[in-house]
Amino acid sequence: MRPRARDAALGVTGTLGVLALWEAVARSGLVSPVVFPPPTTAVVDALRRVPLPDLAGHVGVSLLRVAWGFALGAGLGVLIGITSGWYRTLAALIHPVIELLRPIPPLAWIPMAIVWFGLGEPSKVFVIFLGAFFPMVTNTYRGMTGIDPVLLRAAQTMGLSGPRLLFQVAIPAALPDIATGVRVGWGLSFGVLVAAELIAAERGMGFLIMHARQLGEIAVIIFGIILIGATNLVTDYCLGEVIRRRLGRWHPG
Amino acid sequence: MGERPRLLGLGFLALLVLGWEGASQVGLVRPFYFPPPSRLALAFWELAGEGFPEGVRVGRHVLVTLTRIGQGYALAIALAIPLGVLIGRIPVLDRLTLPLITFARSVATLSLLPLAIVWFGVGEASKVALIAYGCFWVMLTNVIAGVKYIDPILVRAAQTLETGPGGIFVRVVLPAALPRMFAGMRVALGVGFMVIVGAEMIGTIQGLGALIMEARTYYRSDVGVVGMVLIGLFGFAIAVGLERLERVLLPWHRGLEAVRR
Repeated sequence: MRPRARDAALGVTGTLGVLALWEAVARSGLVSPVVFPPPTTAVVDALRRVPLPDLAGHVGVSLLRVAWGFALGAGLGVLIGITSGWYRTLAALIHPVIELLRPIPPLAWIPMAIVWFGLGEPSKVFVIFLGAFFPMVTNTYRGMTGIDPVLLRAAQTMGLSGPRLLFQVAIPAALPDIATGVRVGWGLSFGVLVAAELIAAERGMGFLIMHARQLGEIAVIIFGIILIGATNLVTDYCLGEVIRRRLGRWHPG
Repeated sequence: MGERPRLLGLGFLALLVLGWEGASQVGLVRPFYFPPPSRLALAFWELAGEGFPEGVRVGRHVLVTLTRIGQGYALAIALAIPLGVLIGRIPVLDRLTLPLITFARSVATLSLLPLAIVWFGVGEASKVALIAYGCFWVMLTNVIAGVKYIDPILVRAAQTLETGPGGIFVRVVLPAALPRMFAGMRVALGVGFMVIVGAEMIGTIQGLGALIMEARTYYRSDVGVVGMVLIGLFGFAIAVGLERLERVLLPWHRGLEAVRR
């Protein structure tokens, strides 16, 4: 067997092994199946209580929220990161403010988000925005300030300056760091999403599990947790692939 | 950063704070939406004196939150280090567990909140368990990576010097893996501070996360902002402390730039 195929086979074996163990423990009668249902029962039960179109709707609403929050946070983060990385004075003005706000966990903003934007969509998007913004701005800034000065001087020697130097040399050189920010920011946005949906949401994956808790449907909770994890994993993988293809030219591996 | 930019930054910050206070005094912004610094000072004074909510003082909130984070964090690290070393040293184990660990990392820690409540109740255990979960996977992946990606030349050199397997482990593998472990500890700490706010949203009135949420219930945005500032401050201070500790404990690996890049 080729090493890659063997690794994959081992991975599948390990996963199936843990699932089998879970199934066995849940069916052994040591724990109550109501509190700790076996995975097969959890999936079957959950699919019976929440029909597929509803499920797809919850996933869709959540993804849309993350996409909005992330797009706004990443967009502003990159913009501020690039401009402050290019203009020293701007960096001196703006970075103390950012460094002051950065240690505050995004979830701690939830009450203020509700005060500012009400209980609707914008407050959730704002909290997700924060999750994406801070990793984006710090990584972009680090990328912009960490550019090899030789690169910039070489480009200047060849007559590049101003916007062309920025767009043709500096930003491409900072792209790997920006890509890191994208990955970290996406992960954080996703982590924040669930909490944002725990409060006053009527749809979305976070609402699905919180609602299931009130109804005491553990199967739906477990299924929802796995669904959120899987959605995160798949979207993160896609993002990684896109980045790899785009950046492959500059940054092999 | 030099002297001048720093002064510029501090000046701008001071200007912002003054402008914020001024705008509120003049009535340009409503204090409920943007509680001005003077209000925040009063709210802090109230927190320190009478306490909020129901007489819980600020010291108590901080202590409760730090204890919860500390317990979950310590539990996660105590479990992740031996398990990570084991997985990192045994390639078959690494391949068996890789998909599971990747998935477990992708599970949003706070999505476990409803399940934690069902399993552990609304008390302390569920909060500590959530923090432990969040910190554990971050730490585990870093420990595995630290142990796995050791320069084989180091190990071979030690073998040439006739060091036994135990000696190689203690004197080569562990020191080489420590920087990565510290990186994991720092990230995990951030995760802990992030998760605690969500974990304290339910079933408690003690702790900084609870303070922030209770302030909302009582329409006390000033108290809420004080809570935000406090949690940011402690998170920052502890992260800096950990970095200092790292520099003292790992003088052979300055900065960790190699790991981060």
